[in-house]
Amino acid sequence: MNNIIVQKFGGTSVATDANRRLAAGKIIAAKKSGKQPVVVVSAIGRRGEPYATDTLADEMRKIDPAFPPHPHEMDIMMACGEIISTAIMASTLQSMGHPAIALSGGQAGIITDSEHGNARILAIHPHAIRNALELGLIPVVCGFQGVTKFNDENSSGSLTTLGRGGSDTTASALGAALNATAVEIYTDVDGVKTADPDMVANARTLEVCTYEEVAEIAHQGAKVVHPRAAEIAMDYGIPLWVKSTFTDHPGTEIVAESRAPQSLYQRITGVTHTGKLAFIRLEIENEEHKPAVEQEVYRLMARAGVNTFLTSFSPAALSFAVNRENYPTARDLLDGMVVPVATDPNNRPATYLYIFKFSEGLDLAYRNQRPLLLSLEESGLVHVVDVPGTAHENCTVVSVIANKHRLVPGVMIAVFEALTTAGIEILQMADSDMSISALVPENDASRAVRLLHDTFGLGSPAVP
Amino acid sequence: MSVATHGVAAKHVSFERDRGVYRITVTDGLAHVVVKVSKESDRQSQVLSIFRRLADAHIPVFLVKLHRAAVTFAIEAEKIPDVENCISDLNLGLVSSPDVALISIIASSMRELSGILVSIADSLQRAGVRLIAVGDSHNSVQCLVDGSRIDDAVCELKETFGLNDEIDGIEQVRTTTGNE
Repeated sequence: MNNIIVQKFGGTSVATDANRRLAAGKIIAAKKSGKQPVVVVSAIGRRGEPYATDTLADEMRKIDPAFPPHPHEMDIMMACGEIISTAIMASTLQSMGHPAIALSGGQAGIITDSEHGNARILAIHPHAIRNALELGLIPVVCGFQGVTKFNDENSSGSLTTLGRGGSDTTASALGAALNATAVEIYTDVDGVKTADPDMVANARTLEVCTYEEVAEIAHQGAKVVHPRAAEIAMDYGIPLWVKSTFTDHPGTEIVAESRAPQSLYQRITGVTHTGKLAFIRLEIENEEHKPAVEQEVYRLMARAGVNTFLTSFSPAALSFAVNRENYPTARDLLDGMVVPVATDPNNRPATYLYIFKFSEGLDLAYRNQRPLLLSLEESGLVHVVDVPGTAHENCTVVSVIANKHRLVPGVMIAVFEALTTAGIEILQMADSDMSISALVPENDASRAVRLLHDTFGLGSPAVP
Repeated sequence: MSVATHGVAAKHVSFERDRGVYRITVTDGLAHVVVKVSKESDRQSQVLSIFRRLADAHIPVFLVKLHRAAVTFAIEAEKIPDVENCISDLNLGLVSSPDVALISIIASSMRELSGILVSIADSLQRAGVRLIAVGDSHNSVQCLVDGSRIDDAVCELKETFGLNDEIDGIEQVRTTTGNE
């Protein structure tokens, strides 16, 4: 009978010899209970520590800051972190009397596409893992990496990395490929929390979550398990657990909604916050021409690779958020942009030129372009219309994760009332089937999370 | 001018969901409501009153958008009289548009797909369908459109994203509110 369990240990869990021995203890306990553990490890530690993925990537970038490293070489460098970690963890297990074998992603049979730095798993051929298990060895597999097919037309047999959440993704995908009985994600917290415990002291550990809830929590900013991993577990119906390497807390079990207790069907799961965003508002007063102007804005952002969120349009305005790192690009592209809108050729003016203007100091291109349009305007053939733009540069999204809240009136009002009564400005709201989000000034984010956590009574009971 | 984002369709891969649109769903029987509020300092209390009354009347709202002089949201169309009743004494201008539908364009890693909104807007424009409101999440873009044009809109979107009912795993689901 298949009794395979995949256990994944993150960077903190393998950061020191003491931590690795605690992690090894979890692996050995699983083996002693009759399970066949397959271990996945991340690179050791976080940025600044010598073998952390970010540290290795920084070394490559330092070679010539003006010359970004090629993604092929970058992947080879970044993959070293997991290779080192795997070799050390396998050796730690061996030193504790439990035969183990370290396997790279390629050796473990993980085949990906050729998108270096953000590859997707195409197939897994886990022969080496199965052979190791048959020999009584504990396979310790590098997370976050794979190889391209040897007949890949772009990049034959190259080492690739999976991007953000790569090790969680490796664990879930191996769980699916091996038909594992469970995938356990070990981290430095007891499980999935109702809020970031660094922000909310009485954040509670959830006993059970649905895949949908945990994917939503992860997408909305919690870093417990990556949404890609949750999606794989959901698609393949693999029980997923989030546990702590450092305690014996039972952790959080993540299950399909059909297997979840009824109390989970409609509930407030937690409060999250995510994103360093900028919120842009453009005043486009001509309602008839507005769709054409808006479409040019979408096109411009798309061409520059700038993703827009929280889009909203009223009869006289278009507003949207962008990641703050993209804000200078978005603003510079919009400043001075001219969108022509043709009307009836028999009319005068036959064309409207909409020109975007940010507030003073951010309107360099506008100030250069605008005088050039004067002669056209004077000819009577065109009419030039300013599109004033404003931006709120420092905002973030605070979200209440609420399964099926659209069937439960009152969640929206509770969010709005809690925040506005506390004097927190809501710049925009958004809702999906699983969450209600508010865009708020970043310096109010912690207060907003705590307020909402209290409003929905999510915390642990106070200890007397 | 066009952008090479036409058709960000999902491919079928093992284990992971590939990035791209893999499903379009439609929820019909909706209405879009615009309630005018003051631009002045009492705007916030007016919005609060609107939401409070809607909650007290057990009227679920979604696609809520805050504007300088209005708050807009979607409801089930049959709730229009209830909405009108419960906020009538606030003396705010209310305009409701019945017969709208919500098209959800569902994708993996939606927020990694720059250009998805322009693909959607272009598709709807080609179909001659006006976008009334739009919402986005990590896995979907939701478009509120004229319900009478829904077939044209879906047809054009399916063309754009290369979706085909006969491909396993890709489907178009027509639902009504409360039945998702």
